[in-house]
Amino acid sequence: MTATSETAGPSTAAPSTPSLATVELRKSFGGVHAVDGATVTFHHGKVNALIGPNGSGKTTFFNCVTGMIKPDSGSVSYRGADITGKAPHRIARAGVGRSFQLCRIFPRMTVMENMLVAVRSTSLRRQLSSARNPEELDRARGLLARVGIEHLEHSLARDISYGQQKLLELAGVLMADPDTIMLDEPAGGVNPALIDRIANLVRSLNAEGKTFIVVEHNMDLVMSLSDHVVVFDRGRPICEGTPSVVQNDPRVLEAYLGI
Amino acid sequence: MSLLLQSLVLGVLLGGLYALLAAGLTLYFGVMRVVMIAHSAFLILAAYLAWWFSTETGLDPLLSLVLTVPLFFGMGVFMQRVLISRLRPATLTMMSVLLTFSIALVIEGMLGFAFSGTQRRIRLDYGGANFEVFGANVAVVKLIAFALAAVSLAALFLLMKKTQFGQALRATIQHPEAARLIGINTDRVAGYGFGLGLATAAVGGTALALDSTFYPSLHWHWIGPLMAIIVVGGLGSIPGAAIAAMVLGMGQSLLQIPLGTTWAQTFFYIALFATLMVRPQGFFGGRLAQRF
Amino acid sequence: MPSASDTTTVTSAATGDTTRRRGSMLLKAVALAVLAAGVLSFPSVAANPFILSVGVVIMSYAVLATSWNFVGGFTGYISLGHAAYSGLGGYATGLLVIHTGINPWLAMVLAGLVVAALAVPIGIASLRVRGASFVIVSIALVLILLLVFQSWGSFTGGSNGLRVPRPFGPEVLRPEQHERFFYLHALLLGVALLVWWLIDRSRFGTGLKAIREDEDKAQALGVPTFTYKLIAFVVSAFFTALGGGLYALWFGFLDPIFQFSILVGSYMVLMSLLGGIRSLFGPFLGAVIVGYAVEYFKNQYGDSQFHLVAMGLLLGLVVLFMPDGIIPAATNLVERFRPQKTSIREVSAADLAEQRRTAGPEAGQADQQARTDDGTDIPSTDTPTDTSVTEGARR
Repeated sequence: MTATSETAGPSTAAPSTPSLATVELRKSFGGVHAVDGATVTFHHGKVNALIGPNGSGKTTFFNCVTGMIKPDSGSVSYRGADITGKAPHRIARAGVGRSFQLCRIFPRMTVMENMLVAVRSTSLRRQLSSARNPEELDRARGLLARVGIEHLEHSLARDISYGQQKLLELAGVLMADPDTIMLDEPAGGVNPALIDRIANLVRSLNAEGKTFIVVEHNMDLVMSLSDHVVVFDRGRPICEGTPSVVQNDPRVLEAYLGI
Repeated sequence: MSLLLQSLVLGVLLGGLYALLAAGLTLYFGVMRVVMIAHSAFLILAAYLAWWFSTETGLDPLLSLVLTVPLFFGMGVFMQRVLISRLRPATLTMMSVLLTFSIALVIEGMLGFAFSGTQRRIRLDYGGANFEVFGANVAVVKLIAFALAAVSLAALFLLMKKTQFGQALRATIQHPEAARLIGINTDRVAGYGFGLGLATAAVGGTALALDSTFYPSLHWHWIGPLMAIIVVGGLGSIPGAAIAAMVLGMGQSLLQIPLGTTWAQTFFYIALFATLMVRPQGFFGGRLAQRF
Repeated sequence: MPSASDTTTVTSAATGDTTRRRGSMLLKAVALAVLAAGVLSFPSVAANPFILSVGVVIMSYAVLATSWNFVGGFTGYISLGHAAYSGLGGYATGLLVIHTGINPWLAMVLAGLVVAALAVPIGIASLRVRGASFVIVSIALVLILLLVFQSWGSFTGGSNGLRVPRPFGPEVLRPEQHERFFYLHALLLGVALLVWWLIDRSRFGTGLKAIREDEDKAQALGVPTFTYKLIAFVVSAFFTALGGGLYALWFGFLDPIFQFSILVGSYMVLMSLLGGIRSLFGPFLGAVIVGYAVEYFKNQYGDSQFHLVAMGLLLGLVVLFMPDGIIPAATNLVERFRPQKTSIREVSAADLAEQRRTAGPEAGQADQQARTDDGTDIPSTDTPTDTSVTEGARR
């Protein structure tokens, strides 16, 4: 966060350094243009939100950006470096972590084993050493404690509640120590108290310098949490700005209400 | 020259049968993401049933289709609804391979039990008949087999393209979740898709029985080439499978001239490896193939 | 970072846990010693050379199944064609001994390395896309090798088979041969198990298991999935080839029909699956059960079609009803009857989803609320208002 500050004037009110950015990104599935020429910039050190009606291409966009799907055309860059079409694990190791819609964990592994999957270095010696090295275990326990499920360390991941699985997924992503964290519907299917907890986690992590890009349907959460909101409709952004700006934009209402 | 032409004609005739059988394999894969190893075992089973039918009744083996096609269709629906659907979705691809593999073993073993391991062949009045086209010698039975395959493939194609059921089937193949959302009962459609796939094995088996000898373990010689065809064609694409079947069938037939029958068979496997190296999603496969 | 109060609870939980863990480790060590003693004493208790030779065959199956499990168990990719690697290992060993006259044990290791090298391009071709292609290639490989080894008579001996010179001279009698090879197989099995165990506890192993559970998710966490799968596959081919080579040296004769047989490959799958592919000793246990059954039936009924049917039915039943295998099932049973093992959950996430679906959204919400309350300490006082807010906003 220090070296990059010179690129943007501190006086401008506009958000500063780009984190993830796409230019004219396109992806279609057999005639359906899921992402249709999306040019979007997310800002470093901020909580960015990506909203839009169902089927507006948010998840496909997510998948293109993180390398799960190869875009048909366009480019994706992360902190100035081109990452278009790179393999997901390379993008992950470049510092972009992500969660999945509906929460994906490794069901038949324990909570602790789930934490130890994240790969930060592929040096041979490191890979062949025991997974349960004390330093890594301490880090994992710290993160589990931070999300509040450290007491479940030895349970199988499939045996814990859905809310706990969501927290585990987030903690697992944090193990990779990403700079930017993309969350696909973090509040989907969890109870309000847990939503608050997740929101607080996002805030505190953001305060420590993590950039967030959040796809979310829960408007209250989006408006209270984010610094910058991008609204998607039919595969491209139709409007962006601070939550209050977006909330009052007629195009957003139109997209949501389908007028 | 005439030898070349002869092989070319034989290649087309063989390719037709391959195309029909590969279409069946593609259907299973399309509706359920299942690699159906037992497909060729059912093929041999149908050949045995045709042979048994004609030796018991003295009627033409082609008439056995009236029984085997509905029977196989029913077995296909049963297999999908009762066995395949029981598997966990997360491990479906792998476990279904094992399940269909075990079915293939059971069929092979049962055939050996019932009919012994000796080679069988149907004696037909018109078995020896042949005629000449541009200097190429074509056996009548081979032509009948080809016609049978071509007609069935055309019927399958029309069913997929023109009927409402075909539309539902295609929707299920392309996007199961979306198909479910617009009210298609994808489970039932998948069952019927499986039935149709197995029906191609019934037709193919009868066609095979007309002009070849067969024995219980013969299905291993069919499953390899068929698998190669669906990978080259792109898993899940019926036209892709048909084209790949024709090309590879002709290639095999042509290579038999310089290499002999055994080595010519390796052509399929070389094509399989080459495809996976160069273009793993196959030559006609869409988005479906990329993930599998 | 954990607060002070958090740390105390964690450590108190951890100490109780450590004692339990130490106890189970002791138990494991004893069990391992008993197992090793049982295996090593087998030749001396075997009633006659025939029984001993059955023992060698079972150990050979155990080596092959354990080797198969490097790829099957860790990554969940099921190979039906591992007979290709055992067959190649056997032939490469035999041909090396015959044509170069080198030390047979060296030949065996070289053969393993050659097969491992061959497995690299095969793995690259079949592992780049997901499971289906892998299975297809695995079957195709056995079929193509059967064709080649039957047809290429001048080099491989063709359908007539290949006679492999025995490593021990004629002064070593048949029972003695069996005994030596039994120990050699046990040694190879021990090495394979050790390597499997080392991988299992390594980071690499954690990555592989993550691939088995959810490949996309693993990749999103930075696991280089393709490279990992390829390494596991090559290691598996290497050990399988060693198993094939050792068998060739013992049996002394190779026939393509039996070496490149789909059936042999499916034995490896059945054994591993039956014992439990996620357990270290699963394939070994499966090999003892299936290997014994196969030899018994061969002895009783000869090489009939019957054992194809039996094999098919057994495999089908395992896949349908016990895909996790015996060892996990048995462990679960023990866990259930173990006292004071407090379960952390009353309902699993799946149960919960089921309940929610049947009981309607309101009940489900309340239910989950209660669940999270005793799991994680979230205050539930502000729930009612919050619910209405989010419900409204989600529209």
